[in-house]
Amino acid sequence: MPDNWGFVAAAYGLTAAVLLIYWQRLVRREREVATLQRLNAERSHEPSRAGHPRPEPASRPPVP
Amino acid sequence: MVRIFGWFAAISLLAGLVMAFGVAPREVTQGNVQRIMYVHVPLILASYVAFVLLAIASLVYLVRRDPRADRVAHASGEVGVIFVGLGIATGSIWGKPTWGTWWTWDARLTSVAILFVMYLGYLLLRGTIEDPERAARYSAVLGIVAALDIPLVHFSVYWWRTLHQPPSLMKPGGFTGSTSILWPLLVNLLAFVLLYAYFVARRVRLLRAEAEATA
Repeated sequence: MPDNWGFVAAAYGLTAAVLLIYWQRLVRREREVATLQRLNAERSHEPSRAGHPRPEPASRPPVP
Repeated sequence: MVRIFGWFAAISLLAGLVMAFGVAPREVTQGNVQRIMYVHVPLILASYVAFVLLAIASLVYLVRRDPRADRVAHASGEVGVIFVGLGIATGSIWGKPTWGTWWTWDARLTSVAILFVMYLGYLLLRGTIEDPERAARYSAVLGIVAALDIPLVHFSVYWWRTLHQPPSLMKPGGFTGSTSILWPLLVNLLAFVLLYAYFVARRVRLLRAEAEATA
């Protein structure tokens, strides 16, 4: 029977390609989630901007 | 820890390749195309491991409602689908030069195709239900039911007359071929089980991070 190296290459090549794509997808998603976590952490450390902040003394109107 | 697992998997995969192409002999009747066996059989056996672990983790989730068990089941299902899909594809590539056809609806091929579709359905079910608790519960039930197909796939070659050959490794009386074929097969089996464990460990870590980031 002929050796059919093309079929051997196709089987190993397909396996390697699919496994590499899956691995790269995991790595990319891990980076995205790490960025999301960093942004969440930064937001939680910022002072609250809710409500109306008190104006700075220099910007207040003079007392009559 | 996960990184060390990855290195072990990479080194054993490299060793498996060397064994498959450098140590294993050219098979007498099929020629070199038989070397596809060193990737096809380990992929299918590693997918069995994946689906059995999925069923165990699903059972643990249903009993304890522990989200860690659900994450293991989810990760194992995802990796298992990739492995069984590749197992079917490499088997089809092997079948064309040896059987003269890419596919035939015999008992082994049909039962493994059903296995693939059921676990694909498992992943789709997870993705379509928005409530995470409900998704985990429903998919756990499906994961346990789908595992019943694994013995059907394995024993189909004994129960029905099929074109597919009987198992090489997991059969009564053990492996009967030459050790020059057995060792490359075992090294590749170890490599793919390690790769499966690495992917699952990494996917579980990612699922936990995703849950924390979106909480």
